[in-house]
Amino acid sequence: MPHRRPGAAIPEMFRQMLEKPSTEAYPYKPIQLPDRFRGKLDIDPEKCTGCQVCAVVCPAGVITMIDKGTRKVGDRELPVRRPLFDLSTCIFCGECVDNCAFRALEMTKLFELATPNKADLIMRKAVEK
Amino acid sequence: MSDESKRREETAGLMEFSVENLVPFGPIHPALKEPEYFKLILEGEKIVQVIPRIGYVHRGLEKAAESRPWVQNMYMFERTCGICSFVHSLCYGQAVEGLTIYEVPRRAKYIRLIIAELERIHSHLLWVGLMGHWAGFETLFMWVWNDRELILDLVEAISGNRVHKSMNAFCGVRRDMPENMEDRIVERMKFITDRAHYYREIIDTEETMLARTENVGNKINQETAQKLCAVGPMARYVGLRQDVRLTDPYAAYDEVPFDIVTRTEGDVRALLRLRLDELVVSANMISYAVKHIPEGPIRVKIAPIIPAGEHSSHCEAPRGEIFYYVKSTGGRTPDRVKSRQPTMANIPAALELLKGQTLADVPMVLTAIDPCFGCMDRMSFLETESQKQWTWSGEQLRQYGIKHYFPDRFNSPNPTKFKAVP
Repeated sequence: MPHRRPGAAIPEMFRQMLEKPSTEAYPYKPIQLPDRFRGKLDIDPEKCTGCQVCAVVCPAGVITMIDKGTRKVGDRELPVRRPLFDLSTCIFCGECVDNCAFRALEMTKLFELATPNKADLIMRKAVEK
Repeated sequence: MSDESKRREETAGLMEFSVENLVPFGPIHPALKEPEYFKLILEGEKIVQVIPRIGYVHRGLEKAAESRPWVQNMYMFERTCGICSFVHSLCYGQAVEGLTIYEVPRRAKYIRLIIAELERIHSHLLWVGLMGHWAGFETLFMWVWNDRELILDLVEAISGNRVHKSMNAFCGVRRDMPENMEDRIVERMKFITDRAHYYREIIDTEETMLARTENVGNKINQETAQKLCAVGPMARYVGLRQDVRLTDPYAAYDEVPFDIVTRTEGDVRALLRLRLDELVVSANMISYAVKHIPEGPIRVKIAPIIPAGEHSSHCEAPRGEIFYYVKSTGGRTPDRVKSRQPTMANIPAALELLKGQTLADVPMVLTAIDPCFGCMDRMSFLETESQKQWTWSGEQLRQYGIKHYFPDRFNSPNPTKFKAVP
């Protein structure tokens, strides 16, 4: 049978009062992010070959491949495709980054993605190259 | 709809009770973080019967899984729950791994254990905070959630995200443990152990917590808990030694020494004590695992096509046992995925717990089972005119779907007789 002790939590209350606050002064001070933080997706258009692996593995349907004409390999005409990213549906799993054989994709540390205009979140970097 | 049928719908299943005794609880209620409806039948202040109506947040994940590649489903099932996300992807992953011929590397098993236990600690801490919140002890809520941040920081450092870790891959994990993390993890686990002991002391001696938790909740015995198929902490708090980690070890649970906690008091305070004791067990397991983690590869890369067959897997989530069944026909997408979440199994026991309690204790008792309604919502059928309820098998549901989407193939108009009620 427990013995009731009114105010059993008071010592802890005083201890917590004298401690420094747990909250961080963000956005007035920059926030410390771990090395592995998964933020906004970024692509290096120079490295992208349009192999479509990222579009196949993406669970959220962020990546659409856009046709950019054809290129000649030997005597064959092959289609050229480039990824278009709709980051408004991105779930930040990083599966595309893991699967990119050419290391064209990376997760940056940007996380302030709130915007009144959804079109801002469409990344056309690779398509416009 | 006529007035009569409207009235019947409102009182479905309650014909033997007068409507005057009915207190609707939910679906939008401050005590419930997710929408769920409980019809409470009262006699004065005491609850005599509770009738749940589930399905307000039914999302159709099982059906959605059938049209997605295997690897995409991993991330979809991870989002079944916003608290115990890792264990869902782990369980689904294990079920799929059972269909392949590959072994999971030992190091990956240890990493899975570490993440799963960190998740258990953060889930239990979140729950203890909520219990403090509903007991009117807001300070406890603040303290506990402050401690929980330390665990989330660890999870973020290991996996890159606080909640959705995205750590699992088929036959392994995607990220190795960061270097030089061992000391930091052990130190944090020691801190969490100290805090768990302190919170044990608080809930045993502090007036507010005692008044709101002692002898609250209808006491059920082991036999009733077993009959109602209670799982996880809801089974352990009446003394049943039921824990998948112990009875059917997965990941590295067979290599890490631990013992599960059981209690016998049978009230809400026993659940609090049980979960706080489980924090200590989990913290010890993590400390042991980071010290004894073997070297080696963390992942075996497998093909995107899974061989035909069927397999199931179960894991111990923070709320109890979860179960995944997968069926493959050898294609790029699963043929069928079935999942069962612990809250689904604990709802009958929760209804039993509510009986004989006062209306004011409903938030405490409902929170005590650690409900996660978003995980568990299912669909059932109710014919509003005749009060008839029934369930469908998967095949019947499929036939209904075909009829609904391709009515001309069946040479009949859309079946409008049935109204699907969640």
